Amino acid sequence: MNLTLKVWRQKDAKSPGGLVEYQVSGVSNDMSFLEMLDILNEELVVKGEDAICFDHDCREGICGMCALMIDGQAHGKDKAATSCQLHMRRYQDGDTITIEPFRAKAFPVVKDLVVDRSAFDRIQAAGGFVSVGTGGAVDANCLPVPKQNAEKALDAASCIGCGACVAACPNASAMLFVAAKVSQYALLPQGRPEREKRALAMRSAMDAEGFGHCSNEYECEAACPKDIKVSNIARLNREFLRASVLAE
Amino acid sequence: MEAAKTCCCKRSCRFLEFLESSIGKKIMLALAGFLLCGFLIAHLAGNLFMFAGADAFNHYAEALEANPLIPLAEGGLVALFLLHIALAIRAKFANQAARPVDYEVYRGKGARTPGSRTMAMTGALILAFIIIHVATLKFEVGGLKGPDLYAHVTGWLKNPLYAGFYILAVAGVGLHLSHGVQSALQTFGAGHPRYTPMLKKLGLLFAVSIAAGFASLPIYFGWFAPNTTACCAAEEGAQ
Ligand code: FES
Repeated sequence: MNLTLKVWRQKDAKSPGGLVEYQVSGVSNDMSFLEMLDILNEELVVKGEDAICFDHDCREGICGMCALMIDGQAHGKDKAATSCQLHMRRYQDGDTITIEPFRAKAFPVVKDLVVDRSAFDRIQAAGGFVSVGTGGAVDANCLPVPKQNAEKALDAASCIGCGACVAACPNASAMLFVAAKVSQYALLPQGRPEREKRALAMRSAMDAEGFGHCSNEYECEAACPKDIKVSNIARLNREFLRASVLAE
Repeated sequence: MEAAKTCCCKRSCRFLEFLESSIGKKIMLALAGFLLCGFLIAHLAGNLFMFAGADAFNHYAEALEANPLIPLAEGGLVALFLLHIALAIRAKFANQAARPVDYEVYRGKGARTPGSRTMAMTGALILAFIIIHVATLKFEVGGLKGPDLYAHVTGWLKNPLYAGFYILAVAGVGLHLSHGVQSALQTFGAGHPRYTPMLKKLGLLFAVSIAAGFASLPIYFGWFAPNTTACCAAEEGAQ
């Protein structure tokens, strides 16, 4: 199939950017979205033009690097899938596709479609870990974890930190990401000793990065490639409220 | 965090930190909205005395005004409205700042609702309505329409423009609440797998009931009520 792409090109963080139109021909149904971009890039390089920069790594939906806003949807039209898992069979000959970077003040554009998501790392570093010694592995029955809590914690822990929640949020809020990181510990006994400290520190780091305020639009949940639920955001609100009252 | 460094008492800085935080502000915004819902219920319950006739409604209004705590309650109500509006506007600006360059194409994945998309618009509509509502019915801007409150209110409601705007505004209230109630529950951290979904559905029912309840007044007194206040309506028409 033949496609028209409108791709955001931006030389660097400081230069203004804009959409540039490209024609791609001979795209097969079996290609992934990123392979289609590879084809275009090869043609651009042969022509002596600058290749389009985009982030990617695993190309199998586990690393969260591939951050693309495709036709106004984070990671494109599929639910619970990353950009690298999107396939060209979802498109038809003659389609026009607009590709933009994830947009937020806290995610500055590095070049073209690549954004700097280190804000997430700084939030994680503020409290998204367990620092108390939990000792060696104890007998399983000594530390009871209800199955539903284990399931919820694992669901929250499946967040790959891609930033789609921020990109899809009309307010560029990072609440779903922070909620997942707070939840994965709040639900388990190992995370409990530091739960207040963690909720306060990660909230503080989140606001300091300049993310927007959550207004419960739930576009984050709809865009999340790992299907992280907004019930985690309710938990974060609860954890933060609790910590604000109880923390020493 | 800045506050935490400069202030001397740990407890009070934690409180300041809470008020300054995005989540804290959101909780305050939701709390103000929640309390305003309480006002809506009380106000609607009082308004429905209109259907019990002029005497019942006038008596209710007199008893209400005779209560010495009413000025205090009115002050509290104004404060709640101002807090709700101020925090909403602040959040709006913060959110605009959080995405300085907008998308050329933004579609989303269908999670937003008509209510959530129009919160600012319905909020502004409700504010405009409240100003006109209080000005005309309480401060008698636009003239006194009858010898008592019942006649005054029904006199205004007979004006189709006034009644139409009333209906539009309370529909706006319903739309605002359709997002607001479930959003407030989420903000308060309600997350029980069995109760919360049910509560959110009840929130939607509440939104519809409030809108329908308030709208019943302009609809009935604007178009269907028997003309007991014929004298005033005729005067109205003659003007
Ligand atoms: S490249 Fe790793 S998730 Fe897409």
